[in-house]
Amino acid sequence: MNANLRRNWLLQGVVSLGECGLFFVAVAGAVPKSLRYWRELCRQVWFVGAMSLVIVMTCGLFVGMVLALQLFNTLSIFGATSELGTAVALSLFRELGPVVTALLVAGRAGTAVTAEIGLMRATDQLDAMSMMAVDPLAYVAAPRFLAGIIAMPLLACVFNAMGIFGGHLVGVTWLGLDNGTFWGNMTSTVMLQRDILDGVYKSIVFGGVVSLIAVFQGYTAPPTSEGVAYSTTRTVVFSSIVILAFDFVMTAFMT
Amino acid sequence: MNPGVAQPESSAAALVQVRGLHTRIGAKTIFDGLDLDVPRGSVTAIMGPSGTGKTTLLRHLTGQLRPDTGSVRVDGEEVTKLSRRDLFALRERIGFLFQNSALLTDFSVFENIAFPLRQHAKLPEELLRDIVLTKLQAVGLRGAAQLMPSELSGGMARRVALARAIVFDPMLILYDEPFVGLDPIALNQVLRLIRTLNHTLGITSILVAHELAAIQKVADRVYLIANGKLVAQGAPDELARQDSPWTRQFFGGEADGPVPFHYPAPDYATELGFREAHR
Amino acid sequence: MNPRPSYAIGTGLFILLGFAALAYLATQTTSVANIHSGDSYIVKARFQNIGQLKERAPVKIAGVRIGDVQSIQLEPQRMDALVLLSISKKYNEIPDDSSAAIFTSGLLGDQYVGIEPGGSPTFLKNGDEMVLTQSAMSIENLIGKFLVNGGPKSSSGSSAPASSAPPSSGKP
Repeated sequence: MNANLRRNWLLQGVVSLGECGLFFVAVAGAVPKSLRYWRELCRQVWFVGAMSLVIVMTCGLFVGMVLALQLFNTLSIFGATSELGTAVALSLFRELGPVVTALLVAGRAGTAVTAEIGLMRATDQLDAMSMMAVDPLAYVAAPRFLAGIIAMPLLACVFNAMGIFGGHLVGVTWLGLDNGTFWGNMTSTVMLQRDILDGVYKSIVFGGVVSLIAVFQGYTAPPTSEGVAYSTTRTVVFSSIVILAFDFVMTAFMT
Repeated sequence: MNPGVAQPESSAAALVQVRGLHTRIGAKTIFDGLDLDVPRGSVTAIMGPSGTGKTTLLRHLTGQLRPDTGSVRVDGEEVTKLSRRDLFALRERIGFLFQNSALLTDFSVFENIAFPLRQHAKLPEELLRDIVLTKLQAVGLRGAAQLMPSELSGGMARRVALARAIVFDPMLILYDEPFVGLDPIALNQVLRLIRTLNHTLGITSILVAHELAAIQKVADRVYLIANGKLVAQGAPDELARQDSPWTRQFFGGEADGPVPFHYPAPDYATELGFREAHR
Repeated sequence: MNPRPSYAIGTGLFILLGFAALAYLATQTTSVANIHSGDSYIVKARFQNIGQLKERAPVKIAGVRIGDVQSIQLEPQRMDALVLLSISKKYNEIPDDSSAAIFTSGLLGDQYVGIEPGGSPTFLKNGDEMVLTQSAMSIENLIGKFLVNGGPKSSSGSSAPASSAPPSSGKP
């Protein structure tokens, strides 16, 4: 009984993974057609990106500050506080920037997208579009998917910049490190290709994954208020798991 | 199986022709050999107990859902075999009024009606504005053009949806439960609109509804569907006079009869002391 | 068509801000010399032991970055490591009797290749090999030496092997 249930659960997982894969193919196929709706794309970039700026900037600042504080304590054991700038920058660019930004976007924009599409499904708006001979995959799903891919790396860059600022604030202004050392050691170690761009590539992938999950969950949400709420939760859970798993895989490949 | 069952008269003028429709959704049989004709320029009501697939039928007509077997012809085109592109072309000639209006929540009333125009026709802004305002005037909501859907009452939303459905001057409008949840005033407004659209523009209308009084005012023909088949048809008052268990139950307003009101409710009839539930 | 110009403005500003942040990160937190430039030439160097040297590690003269390690392979016949150094074309006047050594930045930092310029009038060209190399110092060897020699006199030499130790030639 128990084993049976578990197999069923596993089977369900495989089935929904397959559905999500097929949905990805469908959305990717609708992308060329969706470029016609560039206004909608623009609106979604605004929604996913610009509307997430406040939370991303605030969190970036605090993450940078706490990172500087923690690393200062650790580095001072080795007498290497001069490398604080480097340590903050590398932690942010390679890991925390892309990952935390993706988690924040999944929580803020991903849930909103799921709820929005779920409600559109529940109130027949998707059917209404297809009745007006407008493909909802191209008009609703694809722009949100693309918006995630476009907005996520930009948000991660903003997050990183704010994090560096926060780290500088704590390290230099508060803890009294030398300003020149802070920047000098950072600039001599951080590399554009290896550190910054690899982080950007990561967040492009995260952007695609988060928005795909959000759109998919919204699209397949049962058309009830309970179903939409449940799908919204699942967006956050699945996004978080997949972001961290992908992060590991991509880091393994990049270094 | 039933005295009320009648074969639809085939007519060359039929805009919608359904033959031998079989549909199963999951384990449930929705249609079991349904035949149906809708003549051009008529107002046809489709009635039946809840869950008999009236909405499913509408979805078959627009190709949103394909039947397992059977043929659905709309204006001579076999909907079940159309490619996606042809299907979209056909849908531009069909208006669909959704049960919950399905207005796009992000857009104002004006933009909702302009939406299909913007997507399919490259019109100059002034012309587009004129068309939209004409349609809004027709449903009496020109003054509400700048409101958002959340600011509309149920009746107003229904009328806006109707204005959107007729924006391309379709040949056919499908109304899915257009009277549900409307107060008597709004109901009469919608009723008047359906009649006006049919009489002045000659648009063929199919409406799925439960409201007898309303249907008697507006429909030319009524099809009664139950258990996946057509069980009765005719003009509303003609049907009301027909003496079959189906029509007696439907038009006589009897609480029970061959159609159990709530699906599934096999023991409802026995509980009330009637002979047995119809199966 | 006028569906909300505010979206367009907001989106445009957001994208500008994002790219500004990227440009800021690229220019302010990295040095331009770190950008992998296409114009470079290759110099070979053989080491008996490369320690923890990795590909893309910096190549420096007098502490200034002039290029990076392009590849590291084992040379099967001679059983030593062939390291290809990619050096920016800007620095094309390195004497061909310069020596290469593997250093550690800081006590526990990454390893890099340091080049000690020689005095020859001819310069290294693409494909040339640097003859004088010094392998990486491994901590175990250092500790071993320290224990054998046992004296504080040699400890200064082993803890700072970088610049003072004379470069030993690779295998003859």
